[in-house]
Amino acid sequence: MTTLSDNDGGGLRAAARREIQRGRDFVDETEPEALVTVTVAAVALLAAFVGFLTVSSLTAIPFVVFLVASGYGWFRHQELTARVLTLTTTISTILILGLILVFIFVEAWPTVEYATVTVFGIPLPGLRLFVEARWSPVTPPLRYSMVPMIHGTVLVTIIATAVAAPLGVAAALFLSEIAPRTVRELVKPGVEILAGIPSIVYGFIGFTILSPWASDQFDIVGQGTYLFVGVVVGLMALPTVVSVAEDALNSVPESMKSGSLALGTTDWQTMTSITLPAAFSGVSAAVLLGVGRAIGETMAATVMLRGSPGLTEPLYNVFYGNDTLTSLIAANYGDADGLQMSALFVAGVILFITVLFLSIGSQYIEARMQQKLGGAE
Amino acid sequence: MAGAVESSLVSEDTSGTEAVAAGVVGIAAILFGISLGSMFELLSITDPIAGIPMVALLGTLLTLLGLGVIGFGLGSRFGYVATDPRPSAGLVASVAFSGIWFAVGGLVASQSFGLGTVGWVAVAFVTGGLAFAGTALPREDIGSTLPVGVFAVFVGVVFLTGVIGPSWVWDLGWEQQASFNAEFSIPVITAFCSLLVSWASAKAYGGFGARGRHVGAYLLVYLNALSIIAVLFLLVAFTVFKGLPGLFNGLTFGLGSGPETTLFGFTFAWPFAWPFVMNGVALLNDVNGVLPAIVGTIWLVIGAVVFAVPLGVGAAVFITEYADRGRFTQVVEVATNGLWSTPSIVFGLFGLAFLVPRLGNGKSLLAGMLTLGFMLLPLVVITSREAMLAVPDEYRDASAALGVTKWQTIRSVVLPASLPGIVTGIILGVGRIAGETAPILLTMSGSVAPPGSQTVDVIGGFSFTSSPPFVSNPELLQATSALPYQLYSLITAGVGQSSNIANIEQFRWATALILLVVVLSFYAVGIATRYYFRRKLQHE
Repeated sequence: MTTLSDNDGGGLRAAARREIQRGRDFVDETEPEALVTVTVAAVALLAAFVGFLTVSSLTAIPFVVFLVASGYGWFRHQELTARVLTLTTTISTILILGLILVFIFVEAWPTVEYATVTVFGIPLPGLRLFVEARWSPVTPPLRYSMVPMIHGTVLVTIIATAVAAPLGVAAALFLSEIAPRTVRELVKPGVEILAGIPSIVYGFIGFTILSPWASDQFDIVGQGTYLFVGVVVGLMALPTVVSVAEDALNSVPESMKSGSLALGTTDWQTMTSITLPAAFSGVSAAVLLGVGRAIGETMAATVMLRGSPGLTEPLYNVFYGNDTLTSLIAANYGDADGLQMSALFVAGVILFITVLFLSIGSQYIEARMQQKLGGAE
Repeated sequence: MAGAVESSLVSEDTSGTEAVAAGVVGIAAILFGISLGSMFELLSITDPIAGIPMVALLGTLLTLLGLGVIGFGLGSRFGYVATDPRPSAGLVASVAFSGIWFAVGGLVASQSFGLGTVGWVAVAFVTGGLAFAGTALPREDIGSTLPVGVFAVFVGVVFLTGVIGPSWVWDLGWEQQASFNAEFSIPVITAFCSLLVSWASAKAYGGFGARGRHVGAYLLVYLNALSIIAVLFLLVAFTVFKGLPGLFNGLTFGLGSGPETTLFGFTFAWPFAWPFVMNGVALLNDVNGVLPAIVGTIWLVIGAVVFAVPLGVGAAVFITEYADRGRFTQVVEVATNGLWSTPSIVFGLFGLAFLVPRLGNGKSLLAGMLTLGFMLLPLVVITSREAMLAVPDEYRDASAALGVTKWQTIRSVVLPASLPGIVTGIILGVGRIAGETAPILLTMSGSVAPPGSQTVDVIGGFSFTSSPPFVSNPELLQATSALPYQLYSLITAGVGQSSNIANIEQFRWATALILLVVVLSFYAVGIATRYYFRRKLQHE
């Protein structure tokens, strides 16, 4: 154990030394003037970023300096400037994710702190958000429970997954294995266009056609059901599942399929016993991504639901739809302030973290599948 | 010679069965059509078809179908039909059928006989277990037809005897009331039955065994693909149908009939007047329009592209060309994929917390542009990276062998070769963000139905000031409208806020249609570009 950590430390130190050496070499090799230019640009950009963060009116000055420095660098030392600029853009991509994380956490903190519950003398911030089911932002005692919205999101996501997963995987099989070329050329853009229809249009059709129809059919009081929001959201998550699952199915080596077919199996046997098992992890990653889409879908839910947070009675009653995490934010941001606003950010944090984990999970699964298939060849 | 005779005998034999099986599938398709028609309220289950009451007709057809399917199974089992069944129908079919029969048993026990929870669960387990045994234990030809056939006959008898008739209602008895009525249940059950029956008879058509399963599965997969396309077509066609009247309301052609526009100091009059896209909303307008929202959407897209494309392409260049594959590129990949799947409303919250206080402390066009730019960024990175990875290494090696620097290789070899992919990705990404509502709802949204005078004029809005940042543009820092937001606010707005609009229903549908047209035209262009370049690559 100790030797291992020693090795680790030694390895780290060696790596650091290598990096420093590389940095030194780089400085030695580069023209001093180019080095000064990019340094000025980098420092100026950093200053502009800090200025923007601190809401300074002087932000523009370092930014202009950055523009001038990098413009000069572009004409005189294009090689180095291009490299530094592309590095900057890469860093800013990561930075944006970090900023999102930091800012929504900071904004969410007041409500989390407000909802502290002391258990056995240990204060647990945010616990009351998850153990009570009362959302009451106006009438005291003020409570901002996330339970009703989590319940709504879970119901909608389950229904959406039940719609999107089987249909999506079947459509992916169709596109990648079954369809003749001409049919595929027709269906594939169709699925893409299905992804392109704006969510608010889905919501509008759901609101004007589906919701009244559902209320009529099921003798529901008022409008808005988790059931049909789930169906609509499932339809919207479908293209994600189809395209990712199709990629996974396509990545199964052709030799495996041909080997199976050469044994005299039918196409369907090859699919169920070779292609699908081989692509199983990729297909499940597709379903996970679809689940992520369904959780994050906002507008259809906002327009079609009732917007009055609360649990349905009984809990599995999907014919009533109150609120999901996303619709809570979209419907209440306008007249919320203080703790209620912060509670909306809590909903955002829950969404962000859940979907981020789903995304990372599906990437991990996909990476493992790539490794496996790569090794099998 | 003997072989030839035998094969012709077999084919004749099967062609008879095939005809019957095809007939069954045909009837099932008709049933499916009827149930779809009554679900969309084109047909009413109380009206008779050709003198026969609808429910009785459905019941009769279902009973016939069920008997037909049972006939296939028995015929095959007792050797009247040459088939190639396996010893068992398999686990998937067994689980599915036992689920169906579990539901049937439970519903009959609890609803028809009024048994308590323990009673119906027990009955449901018995029927479900029987169905499982009946599917899994006998040979495949019996196992995959008998449970289906009996189910169809059962449903047919239930319809025929009027247990579920046109006035049937099942109140679920929940505190928040909900009930199933005949108008919904009968078509849904019929559609489900006909699907099941067509699957079973498709299997019989294929002679069971591997080929039968193949045919049965292909039927379902084709049906699935067909229904996805049908849904897409229905959605688009319905929106077009409802939106067209409002969209072309008051369209006139003729020289000088349109409004005057001044662009770069040059004034001209449009040769046509199209009120819906050239007007705002005002009390005195003959036809109200959505001009401010259209212009807002255009500027949003431009702003987002200007922000996200250089950043995204730059990042893609760095991680594909400069960085060594390792921890750093992995982090970037995880971050971009994470950004890609982040819900749009979270981007809205981020814009609200991060951008709005720093950009004039109010909702503004600029904040909306940047928020949508954040959303577009991961898409640009991912698609550009894919396009650059697809450039063969030979290109890079050939360029490097000429002795040029890395950046020159990137600029004159990698970027041009991957340009088609990058452009396609950007267009498709733009199509996606142009239809986004949630982020701009929180960062940019203005009034519900803006008048024409509130159309943003970004180019004319620039002016120089003496204090830093020396350039100001009040137009960029104002709240404005965009098409998706306009549609949302029209849906949620009360009557008072949009009282200027005479025919609000028509106005909403026309807005939905124009949003759809704008977004789908981005997609159409993107997909067409991809096909064009792919064809060009194939021809080379």
